[in-house]
Amino acid sequence: MLERYLESLRTDDPGAEAPAATRERLKPRFAPGAARRMTLLGMMVGASLHELLGPADDSIVYSSSFGEGTALEGFLESFPTPSPTLFQTSIHPSAAQQALIGRQRALPELLPLAGGPELVAQAALAALLAPAERVLWCGGEERGTWLREAGLASDRSFAFALALTRARPAAPLARLALEISDQPGALALPAWFDLLHARRAWSGAAGGGWHLRLEWL
Amino acid sequence: MVAASSPVRVAACDCLTPFGDARATVAALLRGERALRPVPVRGVEGGDAVPLALLPGRALDETAPPAWLAPLRQLLAPVIAEGWGTARRPVCIASSNFGVGSIYAFRRGHGDAHRATGTPHDCVAWLRREFGWGENVATFSHACVTAHLALLHGARLVQAGGAEAALVFAFDFLSPFVAGGFHALKILNAEFPAPYQARATGAIGLGDGAAYAVLARGVGDFALAAHAVHNEMHHFTANQADGAGFDRVLAALPADGRRLWLKGHGTGTLDAGRLESAALARRFPGAPLVGWKGALGHTLGSCGLVELALALAAVRAGRTPGTVGAASPTFTPEVALAAFDNAAFDGVLCASNAFGGAHAALLLAHA
Repeated sequence: MLERYLESLRTDDPGAEAPAATRERLKPRFAPGAARRMTLLGMMVGASLHELLGPADDSIVYSSSFGEGTALEGFLESFPTPSPTLFQTSIHPSAAQQALIGRQRALPELLPLAGGPELVAQAALAALLAPAERVLWCGGEERGTWLREAGLASDRSFAFALALTRARPAAPLARLALEISDQPGALALPAWFDLLHARRAWSGAAGGGWHLRLEWL
Repeated sequence: MVAASSPVRVAACDCLTPFGDARATVAALLRGERALRPVPVRGVEGGDAVPLALLPGRALDETAPPAWLAPLRQLLAPVIAEGWGTARRPVCIASSNFGVGSIYAFRRGHGDAHRATGTPHDCVAWLRREFGWGENVATFSHACVTAHLALLHGARLVQAGGAEAALVFAFDFLSPFVAGGFHALKILNAEFPAPYQARATGAIGLGDGAAYAVLARGVGDFALAAHAVHNEMHHFTANQADGAGFDRVLAALPADGRRLWLKGHGTGTLDAGRLESAALARRFPGAPLVGWKGALGHTLGSCGLVELALALAAVRAGRTPGTVGAASPTFTPEVALAAFDNAAFDGVLCASNAFGGAHAALLLAHA
């Protein structure tokens, strides 16, 4: 069994908040002028992640199924004269890079994952296998427009960041464990976010032959 | 940076380029051949002609379903029936494009059928169904260092994650989406790439590419002896001007007296090529440096595994292809323009770089 302690956690659930309102809410969290160049997902992930940044040798695992939906939409709409800015912004894992470049924050290991129903299990596995003492696992989605209507972008926006340690911290929030199982089922990224946001426990199939247990302490 | 000492061996490995499999590709590189051809950057919609290396018979415009499924099936044929996709036999997939060419085709009005393979997870789910893989598939995407991360994770799964073997599979196929993007950045232009050559204008080419490696303990005569990664997070597309990011990733790799030859990233851009070749010469003085993207184009997220398969095939052939497409003067004297015998070397360092100042390197050595 692989396990780590959840040392700290940040979540952002804009719910029905308009994207422009979310941007305004988060803008003060970034350097003047920086937010103008960021995507909504970059701002949400960045605002969550920045509060947890610690030692320079932390590893980061990033998880998003759809990534930069609005930048992707904008880049596709820019043809036949494609936008270089939207091209680079649309590339996975742009949100994590926006967050870290904004802070000029070098790091040893960034493991960006995509994926569908198995994404949570695989990101948890990457976080639990990483050799760093402290691993930050962040992720999220941003609600698309015409790509969403085609089933090619997320239907909701959310972001999270959590810090996982090997050693038990002074005041751990939770314990996260993963073990091999033949139990069918999966835990999708939005459902994982909802568990974190509501501080709800979970013990069940996470996908890909892995059983995940989230136990709040 | 992270250096991960790894006893994990390469039990099987091959790649697919426009020249064919790894052995055929190395043979073509040794003959000095280039797969890059001028192709309109937006496919059937035209645009400037840019150097692209497409699989034989494949158009830049995406089909529904993507036409690259059949060549992938042929590439994977030696390992496809081995029960992959379980916790004991996981799959690590690496790509930067996945099926984004399908989303482009959908947007350009080429039909709803393209939606089925558009997102990374839909594309991977489609491949899983086609190849009969289970659900235990980790999907990595970090631009041009993606394959290195999938190899690193695959090695960890075998070392500590309960896996008996891991299949690492990387693929990237070109489309007007990605060609248009690099053309907009002005680094994909009418010029052909000349990696590590000191010239007035930098240029890259792009190529179709796919590869796989089976990682296991105790099976295979070569090992992934070490991995290293570092992320500058200095600028979206530029590296730190002093080359510190290149130095940091290389410093994490043990040299321990080995005599190495170096397979660099070498896309053909000037600043990155100058910084990379200088850092490699500082860390491994006198070690010959080659880059193959002047012949094959940049195969993006798959390049780390495609070029690992080529390095392995070159070692088995006893001869390393030179830096096809480049000429003197080069940034450093270590750049090998011509092919050389490699029997006297102990291993190969394979390096890749990506947007965001991401750096990755691995050491391939006899087990």
